[in-house]
Amino acid sequence: MDNSAVRTEGLTKVYKDFWRRKSVSALTNLNITIERGEIFGLLGPNGSGKTTTVKLLLGLLFPTSGKSWLLGYSSVDLKVKSKIGFLPEESYLYKFLNAEEILDFYGKLFDIPKTERKSRIDKLIHDVGLNPYRKRLLSQYSKGMLRRIGLAQAIINDPDLVILDEPTSGLDPIASREIKDLILDFKRQGKTIVLCSHLLADVQNICDRIAILNKGVLQVMGNVRELLSQKDVIEFVVKNLSDNDIQAVETFIKSRSGDVLSINHPVSTLEELFLTIIQQSK
Amino acid sequence: MILTIAGHTFREVIRKKILHVLIGLGVVIIIVSPFIPTTDEPDARVKMMLVVFFQVVVLLCIVGVIFLSATSLPHEIEDRTIYGVLSKPVSRLKIVVGKISGFALVSALLLIILGLVNVVAIQRIASRLPEGYRGILKARNEFAASRFSIQGKSHHVRQGIVWIEGGRAGIALWNFSDLYKKLDNKSSFEVEFNLKIDSSRKDIDAIPLAVRIEDANVDRWETSVLSAKIDEPLTIKIDPVIVGKSGAVNVTVFPIHSTDYIGVTQGDAKLFAVQKGFVYNYAKAIGITFLKFLLIISIAVTGSTYLSAPISIVSALVVFLCGHILDFVKDFSLVIQRYDVHEHALPAALKKPNIFLVYLDYLVKKPLEWFSVILPDFKRFDSLKFLLKGINIPWETVGVSVGYTALYAGICLFIASVIFKKREFF
Repeated sequence: MDNSAVRTEGLTKVYKDFWRRKSVSALTNLNITIERGEIFGLLGPNGSGKTTTVKLLLGLLFPTSGKSWLLGYSSVDLKVKSKIGFLPEESYLYKFLNAEEILDFYGKLFDIPKTERKSRIDKLIHDVGLNPYRKRLLSQYSKGMLRRIGLAQAIINDPDLVILDEPTSGLDPIASREIKDLILDFKRQGKTIVLCSHLLADVQNICDRIAILNKGVLQVMGNVRELLSQKDVIEFVVKNLSDNDIQAVETFIKSRSGDVLSINHPVSTLEELFLTIIQQSK
Repeated sequence: MILTIAGHTFREVIRKKILHVLIGLGVVIIIVSPFIPTTDEPDARVKMMLVVFFQVVVLLCIVGVIFLSATSLPHEIEDRTIYGVLSKPVSRLKIVVGKISGFALVSALLLIILGLVNVVAIQRIASRLPEGYRGILKARNEFAASRFSIQGKSHHVRQGIVWIEGGRAGIALWNFSDLYKKLDNKSSFEVEFNLKIDSSRKDIDAIPLAVRIEDANVDRWETSVLSAKIDEPLTIKIDPVIVGKSGAVNVTVFPIHSTDYIGVTQGDAKLFAVQKGFVYNYAKAIGITFLKFLLIISIAVTGSTYLSAPISIVSALVVFLCGHILDFVKDFSLVIQRYDVHEHALPAALKKPNIFLVYLDYLVKKPLEWFSVILPDFKRFDSLKFLLKGINIPWETVGVSVGYTALYAGICLFIASVIFKKREFF
């Protein structure tokens, strides 16, 4: 029994032109395994093959060669889709519906019973902060609101595997933090999350493992901490130390043949500063 | 699942107000139709309303539905809303069937609303018609005479019309049999005469006729005197007792006065069995029209699984148009030959053949024949001709239409599912 959440073997996609001639190799021989319960980041510049990988996993594209499995099932198996949630790169939603109606529509596609569907819709609309706007047509939603309702539809079926393509794009820092908290909450619930993002800070903050693609080829894959750690550099974070003490520590290190690369006051992230200021102003 | 997608498709059409526009336009055309100038016949306005509904309003709705059904999938693919559906546990076949069902629902609603408006308007106009012209509001089964003869002597025969002099010099006799073969015995019967009349008396626009209707097997009859007017059909109801259990009736007619004449042929007397009313027949016509919608929707959605929105619309419209002129398509070769003959105006033996047309004919003949076999035959769904004559639409016609639609739509669905299953979404 395959216990991984996502597994690909030699997954390759070559786009062909009208005359069926090979034109672009979008993905070449991708071999990845994503374990259940982890947050996995798929990174890469534009055109690196991230979206192609996601589309191949969801059956929107067919591989030129290779295979993929989701939650132990072949990715072409329709059954597995009832356990998957997907948030596309942009919020491709039916704009003539309101928040309740669109969630109800997707809920029906998952064959969720009426009473359960209703309670899930109420909870999700509340969780993504759209309760006051639940009856408003999506055509009148801002980009951030569309992103939130997009995320809600991705988890309407309480999926085991959630594939999120740029989940925080178009969101303000507060909403972005809320979404990240939500993703971490999914992890606590035992769900597997595949995250495609350009925002490297987001990925670094929440992902357990990452894979970096470039020109359709896997460049690197591994644990975020391990990949980012510099084995030959040591960092001390110390509080309440006088200038003389700092001088003494520096002298001690030098006496032991160590190179002091920098002595700085640590800097907070802009996101943290922004959130603190907004919180204080309330 | 199919119902969910059908309901979603239906809701989209409602929300985008397209249905409202089609219904609004249809109602305006129906209201205007009685005022369109037509002939002076009393029932001409009713006929005009039927023609306008089935040929203008229905055409408008079909074009609207073609636009909707041919663009729905391409638009979803273009704006990528299809991703949301395809990433759910829904097979692509169900998406196609759901789309077709949704548009079928839209068509049904359109036909029900506009059909109701039209039938109410027709009933209002028809209620003011003279009794003799209300035949159009009936649903009758027509029986042609099995035998026609002249008893006594005819006055003269001209252009196939036998003229009989009045005063029992000659009697026209029509025999009708097997009246119960396809009917239940609850039907009522009537005879309609379309006789030519003449008189040696001056300034006469009506002559008295003696009409005798008798049971062909039992000695039972009724005789009546009717006034026949020039160029007006004459209808007489038959006592059900006369028809009896045998279902065979003899009808005899002669002018009472020796100065009067009637001109008759075998087809001038028709016996009608009136089963149910106009509304019932009209509902059958609407049902057949719905099948026409269903067929073109299946074709349009099938095309849209592969083609872009504009190409899909044009393709569906071309198929719809060609489906109405299949005879022309099939006989295009004959048209070429006729053109050739007409151009030269010479007997075929002397004619110098136009090599270009001969080769063109050779090239297109077979493909066009195949084309006419592949294309749907929309003329099968013409129910207007029955309504205009007040003839009951036979259940055989309805059944054949249902079968034809099911077969054709089934083939379309198969093709659509194969294409859509292989389609990639970039």
